[in-house]
Amino acid sequence: MGETGAILIEVFFETIGFWWVIIPTIFLGLIVGGIPGFSAANTIIILMPLTLAMNLQTGLVFMVTLYCAARMGAGIPAILVNIPGTAGAAATPLDGYPMAKAGKGQQALAISFVASSIGGLLTTLIALATMPILARVGFYMHSVEMIVVMLFGISLIASIASQDMLKGLIAGFLGLMIGSIGTDVVYATPRGTFGFLEFYDGVPLIPALVGLFAVSEAFIIIEKKVIVTHEGDVRHSNWHDTFEGVRMALARWWHIVWTSLIGLVIGVIPGAGASIASFVAYQQSRTVSKTPELYGTGHPEGLIAPESANNGVTSGTLVPLLVLGIPGGATAAIMLVVMQFHGVSFGPSLFENQPKIGYGMFMAMAVAYLLMFLTILPLSRYMSHVTTIPTIYLAPMIISFTLVGGFVPREYMFDMYLALGFGVLGYVARRTGYHVAAILIGIILGPLLERYFLLALKKSDGDIMTLFSSNLGNVLWVALVVSLITPVVLNRRRNKAKVVRQ
Amino acid sequence: MDTKKTRRQLGGELVIPCLAIAFTLYFFSTIWNSPWTAQVSAFAVGGVLLLVCGMFILRCVVMLGQGEGSLGFGNLFSRDDIATGRIGLFFTTLGYCLLIERLGFTLTTFLFLTLSMIILSKGKRPLFITAISAAMALGGWAVFIWAFDTRFPRGWFETTMKAVLANG
Repeated sequence: MGETGAILIEVFFETIGFWWVIIPTIFLGLIVGGIPGFSAANTIIILMPLTLAMNLQTGLVFMVTLYCAARMGAGIPAILVNIPGTAGAAATPLDGYPMAKAGKGQQALAISFVASSIGGLLTTLIALATMPILARVGFYMHSVEMIVVMLFGISLIASIASQDMLKGLIAGFLGLMIGSIGTDVVYATPRGTFGFLEFYDGVPLIPALVGLFAVSEAFIIIEKKVIVTHEGDVRHSNWHDTFEGVRMALARWWHIVWTSLIGLVIGVIPGAGASIASFVAYQQSRTVSKTPELYGTGHPEGLIAPESANNGVTSGTLVPLLVLGIPGGATAAIMLVVMQFHGVSFGPSLFENQPKIGYGMFMAMAVAYLLMFLTILPLSRYMSHVTTIPTIYLAPMIISFTLVGGFVPREYMFDMYLALGFGVLGYVARRTGYHVAAILIGIILGPLLERYFLLALKKSDGDIMTLFSSNLGNVLWVALVVSLITPVVLNRRRNKAKVVRQ
Repeated sequence: MDTKKTRRQLGGELVIPCLAIAFTLYFFSTIWNSPWTAQVSAFAVGGVLLLVCGMFILRCVVMLGQGEGSLGFGNLFSRDDIATGRIGLFFTTLGYCLLIERLGFTLTTFLFLTLSMIILSKGKRPLFITAISAAMALGGWAVFIWAFDTRFPRGWFETTMKAVLANG
């Protein structure tokens, strides 16, 4: 323990010495995270020759920082212009954007940065301390358990639908249906592809994200001069608003802690990711909240939950990568390639043979989150100006840069047309009172749910009771039912109490 | 007159359910003779979708019967769409998708930004708009294509600049 502690301290100070790599990479990460299509994974691939040319430690610091910063960056356009940079930030605009529209964009950014930094930093330290235990979580999560985790995320549709249940359910199930497009996972039978080969892999996520959020939003915002709802709210930004955002976040420190832990646990499970974590965290945050009716209207807790959870995922992803050699996501898989190029072997022996590399990854993450907090927070004052740019200039910029972002992941022109098609669908949905976030949740989680469902059925020769065959699965089922019933019961109690008071 | 104004425009609200029903039925037609693995979740999800759409349509019929709604599309299309330049923006966006493969990212982005900003601003400040559009398009080229060699659609401008930069 003493030896490990000495190594950790040594590695920490060594990593701080890489500030000259970390700070520019933070800004690069914010840019690539903020534009749909330019994920950290894509950027690391693009810059792979550079990464391979660096020495191992510098390369690792660069990749880890880019990964964290891109995660944080994805929340910025989600808050300011209702465009999540990645699917992991898809729950962020639910409360972030209403805050920006109400002229509190600066506070919303500060809340997001504090929640992301603290959530990321905390889960990094917890992951470091509990690595051997966390690494085993993946072994217990089979298809049945994963089905319940997915349902936790999908149950967010029901919350979104609370204003108009039928419309919410139509949007959610339409999303699930669109998510079913493509070949089935067992026999690769094409379904609902309209004859397009481009759909055989399923509906690509980035064009759906770009269309439903960015393009449709651009067509809506041109009705107003600027994004903020009341022109009286367009005022000069000041430090006070940033500090107010910090105070609002810190006052909810416990919320940051437990929602980031949700992210950490989901991040540890290979195949799960930031989008699931942020949906689950948002839904659970709403479930236990004393003011669930404020969610979706610009409630700080509704912004904290997805942001701290999706940053909790980043540290969680490193656990199976380092301890078992199983990458938990695309970025982790690329890190694996780069590390293997440098001759690093994964598994428990990594921490015995090359402890500086193993612990160094976590330390790089911790230092990146620390420096991100210090460098990005002051910028929220200036970033919030985006909401005051006249929409006649902003809308075309959003359309051009996000549509081309839809093209980047697969390089199909088809994906740009698809993004435009989703844009039209999103526009119709927004104008007629259907929630685009519910459609997107279905598109993201639908294929994953189907995959695990089919795997579970296949393993049990079609016996549906397999869904209730594992102890952990049953515990999760009970938790799911409790989380669905609790808000209804609490709501009834509150209404009764109101009636009694009146 | 007032009642007419406050009536819900159910025609617009029915667009998504009608699309959902049409899509679900098409989806079912593609899996009718497929193995059960391809059918099971689609039939389950599609079945619920058809059910909720049916319930929504029923609700609309009741509202129409009670005079609370009309089959109008006012919440979806209005004259404001022309006044705000939304229709124009849609066609320039379509043009952007059509032209970008031939002209490449930089030129198409410049043309799209200029044209759509001029439409949205109703022709005001054309020089300023041209300058902004040029700066954005060139900035995008410099960051994404020149610096990071991102896989953006390339055309005449990108090819020429590559040759110019390669030859010093």
